Amino acid sequence: MIEAAQKTYRAKQWNIRRLLLTVLLATVIWVIVAALCVLVGSTGAIGWPGDRAFATRLWFRSERVLIASLVGAGLGMAGVVYQAILRNPLADPYLLGASSGASLLSIAWLVSMFGSSSTILFALGQQTAAFIGAILSVAAVLFAASSRGRIEPVTLILVGVIVNAVNGSFFLLIYSLHPEVVAQGGAFTFLIGGLQSSLSARQEWLAAACVLGGGIALMRISGLLNVAMLQTAEAESLGLNVQRLRWTGLVIASLVTASVVSISGPIGFIGLVTPHLARMVFGYDQRRLLPIATAFGACLLALADAASRFLSQQTLMQTELPVGVLTSLIGGPFFLVLLWRSRESQAETA
Amino acid sequence: MAFAGIAGGDRMTLLTAENVQAGYGDRAVLRGVSLQLHVGEVVGLIGPNGAGKTTLIRVLLSQLSSTGKISWEGRSITAWSRKDLARRVAYLPQAPSSPALQRVEDVLRTGRAPYWGAFGLESARDLQVVLAIAERLHLSSLLKRPMLELSGGQRQRVFVGRCLVQEPVALLLDEPNTFLDIRHQVELNQLIRQLAAEQKIAVLAASHDLNLASMSADRLILLNEGVVVRDGTPDEVLEPQALSTVYGVTIERIERAPGEPPIVIPRYTALGR
Repeated sequence: MIEAAQKTYRAKQWNIRRLLLTVLLATVIWVIVAALCVLVGSTGAIGWPGDRAFATRLWFRSERVLIASLVGAGLGMAGVVYQAILRNPLADPYLLGASSGASLLSIAWLVSMFGSSSTILFALGQQTAAFIGAILSVAAVLFAASSRGRIEPVTLILVGVIVNAVNGSFFLLIYSLHPEVVAQGGAFTFLIGGLQSSLSARQEWLAAACVLGGGIALMRISGLLNVAMLQTAEAESLGLNVQRLRWTGLVIASLVTASVVSISGPIGFIGLVTPHLARMVFGYDQRRLLPIATAFGACLLALADAASRFLSQQTLMQTELPVGVLTSLIGGPFFLVLLWRSRESQAETA
Repeated sequence: MAFAGIAGGDRMTLLTAENVQAGYGDRAVLRGVSLQLHVGEVVGLIGPNGAGKTTLIRVLLSQLSSTGKISWEGRSITAWSRKDLARRVAYLPQAPSSPALQRVEDVLRTGRAPYWGAFGLESARDLQVVLAIAERLHLSSLLKRPMLELSGGQRQRVFVGRCLVQEPVALLLDEPNTFLDIRHQVELNQLIRQLAAEQKIAVLAASHDLNLASMSADRLILLNEGVVVRDGTPDEVLEPQALSTVYGVTIERIERAPGEPPIVIPRYTALGR
């Protein structure tokens, strides 16, 4: 009887082989897209760089693609985890204040750099300030939203919205008191979401370690995320310690978010859209979704970065278009289309 | 895991609760509940709104702390890890959640979560159990279908299936009939009876429908204001005087053929006609 069922239904057991195959598939997707992105130059040329400084340029481009991929991967995986744990398809990695906290502390750092010769501040660096800002902000949200160590998604989202708004207004306050920060060019671009080419190797490796370590830790709990999407009572009756998962999942995802936000600034929509894209192609199983969404995030941001490099040269601007502007510009309408489509398909089958 | 039950009367006792008290903050809901559940028996938990049915189920699932003694299979509830308990006791809520686009197989496979390893890794046995349960509940041909495309009755079967793949010895249901029409109510209750008989699963089902509960249960437990008012066969528990007091309306009892449980209905003339 069971054999007969197996003929009509090929069950795919989630074993170590399938896990590794999925990770391999995700890697292959990313490698292909990343290779294409390397072909796009900041001079508007598409193809291999043709001049004598070939190697240098290629190296420079690949570094950009790698950084974009790293940031996108971090946002993609964090997005999946936030959406599953908060049981909200509109959740994104910035919901708990990571990006607004990062922006706030790094503009504070920028402003305090003026007329100050503090070597400590300088040694600290904008990225570290951003990282600390993101962590403090998320910690504040988790602290304010929890009662006796318990966190509930709705409270968390509300507190997150509030803390984001407060951070945002302090950011604007500092900005209006010190309009000269705009003149900082790249450092200012950071505040509205732009990949930087002036990162030190240490910063890059640190973020890469956070994303990789976080990715493995999140994959470890990816099965639990399937359960966490159910109502609390159901999830607990399936053996899940819901509160413990909420804490571990959100803390790890927030660390990953903080580490990538600290090298890229707040780049919008990647963390929100990527999980939806991955779900459309690969379904609801979080164990599969997590590595795929990670790759999709990396691909999307690498593509957006390549596009912004290309556009900046082809169109009006001499300076580079911050990639965060581009992702929001494309991501917003794109997300609307996604919503419409899913609404239609639900209306048809309902 | 071999289970050496405790002989309680003529049947093996699965669950023992003694003087259980629980509540939310300062509000006491359960004020000393004692009950037993035996292997393969179907028990209906009845009582008015606020009597403590849902709270009792949550306490028995170890989701709410309580004072008093509760033990599953002779082991105190505090000694069970959440995961181990999930391999023995399954729970079906009033309105189980499922993302609309999730497939039947996704829902069923989630029931094996208490058996998964790190990284959510499944064993070959996990899938065998899912397939066997799907076969048993006539869901095999639906495995690839999104939940959204299923009828209400099919969907309910999937959720019962998710409980069964946990391979439980006991199944706790909280108002499983609420959103079902009469036919599906009857089908669900028949299915649960069959499962109890075939697989020796003990069932405790909270219900508002006294007659449906009495027709499917071996035993009824009447709960009121956090205490067990009556505990016995449907014939013993559905006593008009007691029910009228507990529910606050005059209740009439209609006898049926010998061996069949009686029918109880509110006396409609009491509504002012």
